[in-house]
Amino acid sequence: MRLPSRYSLLWRLTGMLALFCLLLVSLHVDLGRLLIRATSYLPASTKTILTDYAREAEAAWQTEGARGVDGFLLRLRAREQIWAVVVDGQRQSLSSRPLEESERQRLRFLRQLDGQMGRPDGTPTFELPFSDGENRLVMTLPERLSPRKYRELWEALLYRVLPALLAVLLGILLYRLLIAPLAILRHQAVALSAGDLAARVGPQVAQRRDELGDLAGAFNHMAGRLEDTLTFQRQLLRDLSHELRTPLSRLRVAGEQAEEVQVLGQRLEREVATMERLIADSLELVWLDTERPSLPLEPVDVGHLWDVLRENACFESGWSTEQLPCELPADCCVLGNLNGLAQAMENILRNAIRHSSADGMVRLGGRREGACWHLWIEDQGPGVEAGELETIFQPFTRLNAARPGGDGFGLGLAIARSTLRLQGGELWAENRALGLRLNLRLQSV
Amino acid sequence: MLHATQPITRILAVEDDPLLASHLQTHLQGSGYDVTLSHDGDEGLRLATSEQFDLILMDILLPGRNGLEVLQQLRSKHGVPVVLMSALGGEQNRIAGFSQGADDYLPKPFSLGELSVRIEAILRRVAYERREQAPRESTDDLHFDEMGCDVALAGTSAGLTPSEYRVLELLWRHMDEALSKPFLYQQALRRGYAQHDRSLDMHISQIRRKLQGIGYQGARVETVWGKGYMLARLG
Repeated sequence: MRLPSRYSLLWRLTGMLALFCLLLVSLHVDLGRLLIRATSYLPASTKTILTDYAREAEAAWQTEGARGVDGFLLRLRAREQIWAVVVDGQRQSLSSRPLEESERQRLRFLRQLDGQMGRPDGTPTFELPFSDGENRLVMTLPERLSPRKYRELWEALLYRVLPALLAVLLGILLYRLLIAPLAILRHQAVALSAGDLAARVGPQVAQRRDELGDLAGAFNHMAGRLEDTLTFQRQLLRDLSHELRTPLSRLRVAGEQAEEVQVLGQRLEREVATMERLIADSLELVWLDTERPSLPLEPVDVGHLWDVLRENACFESGWSTEQLPCELPADCCVLGNLNGLAQAMENILRNAIRHSSADGMVRLGGRREGACWHLWIEDQGPGVEAGELETIFQPFTRLNAARPGGDGFGLGLAIARSTLRLQGGELWAENRALGLRLNLRLQSV
Repeated sequence: MLHATQPITRILAVEDDPLLASHLQTHLQGSGYDVTLSHDGDEGLRLATSEQFDLILMDILLPGRNGLEVLQQLRSKHGVPVVLMSALGGEQNRIAGFSQGADDYLPKPFSLGELSVRIEAILRRVAYERREQAPRESTDDLHFDEMGCDVALAGTSAGLTPSEYRVLELLWRHMDEALSKPFLYQQALRRGYAQHDRSLDMHISQIRRKLQGIGYQGARVETVWGKGYMLARLG
């Protein structure tokens, strides 16, 4: 299995989860210890209450002796519902009632006020010495004063509620991390489907280097391609209907003028041929541009193909073979699609002948450049403006003012470029000292 | 091509546009064919399987069953040649049509002249396949090597490929007769002809070079514009 990149969300997610686990364990251990310590000693207020009881007992002993102690113990027991005795240094009861055996047992293990509370489930017994240091009040801790009274509540908070709260917090954090960018993506997708072709995901998501950034990049690419295609098709439709109007209006006028049947028939045939060619070329361009078919590649002998194209071109234009020389090395063989390459070169050749004077020359040249063949077809026409070297590849572009001649629709070079790109080739134009040069780059065999 | 002694050729035309269908019928009957019309795919399929036709001309977009389905059904039991017509025009449909066994494809709009050429090419190929091979015209200089698919002049081989050999052989049998591109595609390359297909032109160009290469002067392949190619005897 291949590891995801170092910017992957995986690392952030696992990092956050690991941090969460560490936090939980340390909370459990550290806070647990704190809680135990906090509930193991008596707080100062409790100590004061207990010391006050001792002082009260001492006062009762000093003023009324055993009877006073009896009265004090009765009051204390009634008030706090606890076990309490007052004893001397030899652990003999100072009240009128002597200690029972079980009470004597209890006196063996007494806790100091500042000491620990001992076993969590037991009720600790404290001794509170009088000011003479001999006699003391011994009593169990009243339930209401126990620091462990809320211990169960604290434990529930610490071990159940706190982890749950932390988990919720982590969930919110993850949600924000993952869902916020997705919400932006969703927003743009909705905008796109509502017809806003310029909808793109902003840089705060698109520039992320994780999977969400990749997704945003893919979305932007898709939206861009969609916008290009739709713009292209709208433009094409507009141009196409505009172009169709010309032959149609010529036909309408001819029909209204009621020429001779034979003349009308010839005109009809000519205009229908024009419209057929226009539609066939437009469909071809749309097919190449939108379907992007994969054309099967094969070795093509370019010089040989030029011979075939030249024969046709000479027949169509009335040029002689000598006006279309091939200056390619004999071994020029490229990897292309025969029919596609033939169509591209034929369109370029027709274009070159159309923009040349009748006694001009159009030559094919080329040289090998590494794994490619760089071919060129150059004419001796007037060339095009530097700013229009790219425009001529747009559909329905006709630079009539700059280049004489031009009965085409301006689709030839657009088709040539599309079909060459589908064969992994390139097509671009450059002005030479004399005329225009169309450059082709194709893979060598 | 047609002689009065031969039984009349029957064509089934399946086309849903009544105007185009009646033009087709008039034109084909004018060319001497017996034409049966059908306006939908189901009826077309029924007629094609119950009666004997020499060729079926069929639109792709039809009411009932579409042309490609009919073709598929038909091909499971019949070998009758089928020419598909369609305004779909896309390469996809063209390829789909061929892969299901259509013999040719005519994109709409087409001229009636073009249609005649395609029909003739297919009927001629079928006639060729049925007939005993006529002996090739004997020649004293160019030697045809049937097994090796090559020709030789005075012991020097031209180095033709099998496709080039079939094209040259076909032209040779019809010396001084212009053969249409659709027929050459049907007979020598065994497939329909499409407008942008350059394979035949490349083969012809190679044949010219190779014949020139071995110094053959007896005949040369001429281009007959708007029709096809012809092997013309020189001198």
